[in-house]
Amino acid sequence: MQDHSSTMRYSTVMSRLTLAIFVLVSAACSQADTVNINVSGSSTVLPVVSRAAEQYAQEMPEVRVVVNAGGSGVGVKQLGSGQTDIGMISRDITDGEYEQYADVGLKTYAIGVDAVVPVVSSEIYAAGVTSLTFPQIASIYRGEVTNWSAIGGPDLEILVIDKEASRGTRQVFMSKIMGNKNATAPGAKLVLGSNNEEQTALAQSDAAIGMLSHAWLNDDVKGLSIIIADGAPIEPTLANIKNGQFPITRNLLLVSRSDLSAPAQDFIDYILSPEGQKIVEESGYIRVSE
Amino acid sequence: MRISRLYIAGSAIVSAIIVLLIFVTLIVNSSAAVAANGFHLFTYEWNPAKDQFGVLPMIFGSGAVTIIALCLAVPIGLMAAIFTSEILNPMWRAPVKSVLEILAGIPSIIYGLIGIAFFSVWVGDLFDLQSGRTILTAGLLLAIMILPTIITLCDDALHNVPQKYRETAAGLALYKYEIVKDVLLPIAKADINGAVLLALGRALGETMAVMLVIGSIDRVPEPFYNALSAGQTITSKLGREVAESAFGSVHFSALIFMSLLLVAITVSLTSLTQFYFKQEQRLVE
Repeated sequence: MQDHSSTMRYSTVMSRLTLAIFVLVSAACSQADTVNINVSGSSTVLPVVSRAAEQYAQEMPEVRVVVNAGGSGVGVKQLGSGQTDIGMISRDITDGEYEQYADVGLKTYAIGVDAVVPVVSSEIYAAGVTSLTFPQIASIYRGEVTNWSAIGGPDLEILVIDKEASRGTRQVFMSKIMGNKNATAPGAKLVLGSNNEEQTALAQSDAAIGMLSHAWLNDDVKGLSIIIADGAPIEPTLANIKNGQFPITRNLLLVSRSDLSAPAQDFIDYILSPEGQKIVEESGYIRVSE
Repeated sequence: MRISRLYIAGSAIVSAIIVLLIFVTLIVNSSAAVAANGFHLFTYEWNPAKDQFGVLPMIFGSGAVTIIALCLAVPIGLMAAIFTSEILNPMWRAPVKSVLEILAGIPSIIYGLIGIAFFSVWVGDLFDLQSGRTILTAGLLLAIMILPTIITLCDDALHNVPQKYRETAAGLALYKYEIVKDVLLPIAKADINGAVLLALGRALGETMAVMLVIGSIDRVPEPFYNALSAGQTITSKLGREVAESAFGSVHFSALIFMSLLLVAITVSLTSLTQFYFKQEQRLVE
């Protein structure tokens, strides 16, 4: 009996505590006079927008920018169905999407340029696989090449990492490598989502290949150079992305509806301003205006 | 009195209506997929770009991780419950149970992060795998997540057996082991089964933690019992794709069809168990 009453007391205390927290939180949230701007979509564009949101908050304390990831497809869908004010996408809007959301009047703003880079675990890079051709990468994703030794690497099975079908990064990558943005990858062994998730898996493995936005490359995940025809390998450097040599580049876009609110328009203008463009550059992408 | 009775009846009716509404919503929204695909829903290929919506890999994955989790967690949980209820000094029982109940309340995303940072790496190293994101990892993580639930409910089940049974059994000079095995466990059986059922429900429905560690590939492993390869559960599939599928599309409808299956599985398991245990007279009320 002793035990029972103590459990009871514990749960009453807990429920009162929960209630108190709930009341406090809802009171804090209902502060008047702040304008909310919701932004959601591509995890590639996200770092730019969330940094910009931080700096913007210092200039305009009455505006609160809420940034959410989910992928380009999710960004367009939420924008089209009115769940968010601004969408972030890391590929072009498809004709199907324009058609589906014709009534809301989608409008795009290019805020930067990025490259999608085929990446490998640092161990593979150190073992000598530093560049590949498109057909070689395609054969890995098709499942025809399954061991690194077949393409000049160590005798290790390739851990092929694919991405969710709606991800802008995957669609840009697949349309260049396989010639079809919705191409299936029968050789894939994992399917992951955001750039962060993919980066973690690549870093944890010693024999993985995947695809990442240029800004996510680091010491654990190395970007491959690409060989086109018989030319020299083109490294995924900012200079090569800027001058258009690196073959898998894309625009980073913000998307709005025709009923865009004035504060949201101001925020987009801020990202396009010199200050905002500096943030684009700091995030590892190429600015669109000087 | 009248008001409180009305209130209670009203609450019951509202709950019943909510359950009914869930079913109706799921059935209505999954009809498009059934109409477009029919029995092709029960195939192995999932590719929305080509209008292929085979749900078998996801059903397999959900079943596999749940079975692994239960096989690991039920024996351990039951042993631990026997310990806390029958062997542990009663003074310690309350604190131990509080800790277990706190463990049961930890949000699943926390388990998921621990799973991806440590578990998947350990499983990868232990079995010398390319990637530790496997069906086994997900099952293991789920086992840990449902263990506190199983322990604390089984402990309650055993503890609720009246003291007189223990005393009588001891009076017959039975060993403690025999008391537990032949007296307490048979009496507490119905409640223990309830505990397992609740844990099974959590394992089947868990999304976040599973999604992070299972590898999310829509394939049944080769051979099918190879739990050391990546897979996909119904919930992880929904978690990854429901936000991107356009409302009203066949893609969305196929996802809803899978959730309907999940609910149907849970409901039929629950009613089966309840039916089965109604047959037996409970010794303790």
